Amino acid sequence: MERTLRAYLLPAIAYFLLLEAMLAAALLYWPNFQENIGQLKAMAPIDMLKDMVDQLGQGGIEAYVVGQHFFKGCNTLGTAAAVVFSAGAVAGEVHRGTFELWLARPFSRRRLLLERWIVGALALTLPIFLTTLTIPWLLSFVDTEVALGPLMLGALHQSIFLLGFYSLTFFLSTLFDNPMAIALSVLFGTTLAFSIYLVKVLTHWSVYRLADIEVFMKIIKRGELDPVQVGSLVGVTGLFLVLSMVVFQRKVP
Amino acid sequence: MTAAKQQERASADTAPMRGAIRLRGLTRSFGEHVALAPMDLDIGPGGVTGLLGPNGSGKSTLLRTLIGLVPRHGGDAWLDGVRLSGDGTAIRERSTFAPGELAFYGGMRAEAQLDWLLAGRSAEERARGRRTAEDLGLPLHDRVRSYSHGMKRQLLFSAALAPRVPVRILDEITEGLDPSKRGVVLELLREDAASGTTILLSSHHLAEVRRACDAMIFMRAGEKLSEESAEEIQSRARRTLQLHYPTNVDRGAVARVAEANGAERVTGDGGRVVLLLRDEDPRPMLAALCSATELPPPARIEYGELSLEDLYRDLYGTDAC
Repeated sequence: MERTLRAYLLPAIAYFLLLEAMLAAALLYWPNFQENIGQLKAMAPIDMLKDMVDQLGQGGIEAYVVGQHFFKGCNTLGTAAAVVFSAGAVAGEVHRGTFELWLARPFSRRRLLLERWIVGALALTLPIFLTTLTIPWLLSFVDTEVALGPLMLGALHQSIFLLGFYSLTFFLSTLFDNPMAIALSVLFGTTLAFSIYLVKVLTHWSVYRLADIEVFMKIIKRGELDPVQVGSLVGVTGLFLVLSMVVFQRKVP
Repeated sequence: MTAAKQQERASADTAPMRGAIRLRGLTRSFGEHVALAPMDLDIGPGGVTGLLGPNGSGKSTLLRTLIGLVPRHGGDAWLDGVRLSGDGTAIRERSTFAPGELAFYGGMRAEAQLDWLLAGRSAEERARGRRTAEDLGLPLHDRVRSYSHGMKRQLLFSAALAPRVPVRILDEITEGLDPSKRGVVLELLREDAASGTTILLSSHHLAEVRRACDAMIFMRAGEKLSEESAEEIQSRARRTLQLHYPTNVDRGAVARVAEANGAERVTGDGGRVVLLLRDEDPRPMLAALCSATELPPPARIEYGELSLEDLYRDLYGTDAC
């Protein structure tokens, strides 16, 4: 456990700092954005971006915050972190040749796998909550306020969404032995999904529809999560975790 | 009585005593390849048992299956009275296992790596591991990536020897060690076995097996070929007669004479003929061979000596290392 914690600590700190830097830069730009929203819309090269600028303009600071922090920052950096934190979870041990040694100690496989899954999941989600907590403070520099409660619900939704990618990659890590190939494959898939989101006629096929500005604005307005969406995402995460356990139980050094 | 209770009772009937290892029909395949044919074994309690065989003979698969790292496809195994079930956690709690493959977390300091290997063990056992490593001269503050192959092997050995468990399972534990370190390691194993620990070690090195082991199990193609205690090897030696002829003798002729006079088996190579006698008196056989007019007189006769190398050659038809 100690080694697992240590292995995830530095990447998690780096991920937190990057997320915070992106958030700070975006929030401090808010007054300029507000002033130049018309020109920005005109400059947007594709329809989906024009629609997004419209959404931000209509939704005010809340839409701007969720758009910048969740949709842009967490969906891009968070997806990458989800893949990086899970691709090597088991495949890394096999690739390094330490898999047998890892299993040889007097711990059950279930415990080993769950420990690793939980530590990685915390490394992925804690920075999202921590950076979200700093939003009111960052906005105070531009004399703006938002309610923290609904934003934390957004952070919860975002975390559950990213845990889906995390669990999928974790499952692949138990199934295959090359962490780099796993990471590149999933990143290719997620990049494709993000690209599809930006194409108006295809956007409804993208998984990122589950974590876009519209979804977060609904959460903020209602002050609650969508139980169907969250239930589905938790189900997917749980399914991949169970599949990971089944595969891991049978994995031979 | 429920089926589960019947099975539990059956397990209790076949469960070995504390510190012993028992296999009954333990088997494992990888696809079509039978890595471990159904195997029965009784080892210990106490003593050092060597597992011998060429590469691919199933030694590592046997060890991994015994401690639950490789799920079995049939049969049963007990270690220290505990039946192998699930992923073998209960077995691993009662034993230590040193894998043959050497791979560590290179970025870790040796001390941290040792603690990692001994996770789940007591502080006293971790301290014991550090003491053994220090006694072996390992620089524990260095990172593992700076360690040589032999030093890594010693680090693994230190971890395997530290826990106070009744059974230690060691796969190629002296591989890559220089002769002096190998001697130290074997001596430590002998001391450990003398305190009542059961040690099962796999090896290619006959010299170390001869030096350290009380019993030997020979494997080939996933099957147990032979199981010999030191006494049985001595007894076999007392029934072994080696004749060295000056030229390539007609072994067919020797075999005919020997079998007619009570030889169980005739093997050999070149001018060397090895006879396994039915009893421990070689005189009638020697008289018959020396009086056979179709055979030349032997240049040298050896009796009562059987090296492990001879036994290995006898079993596998090739020289051991």
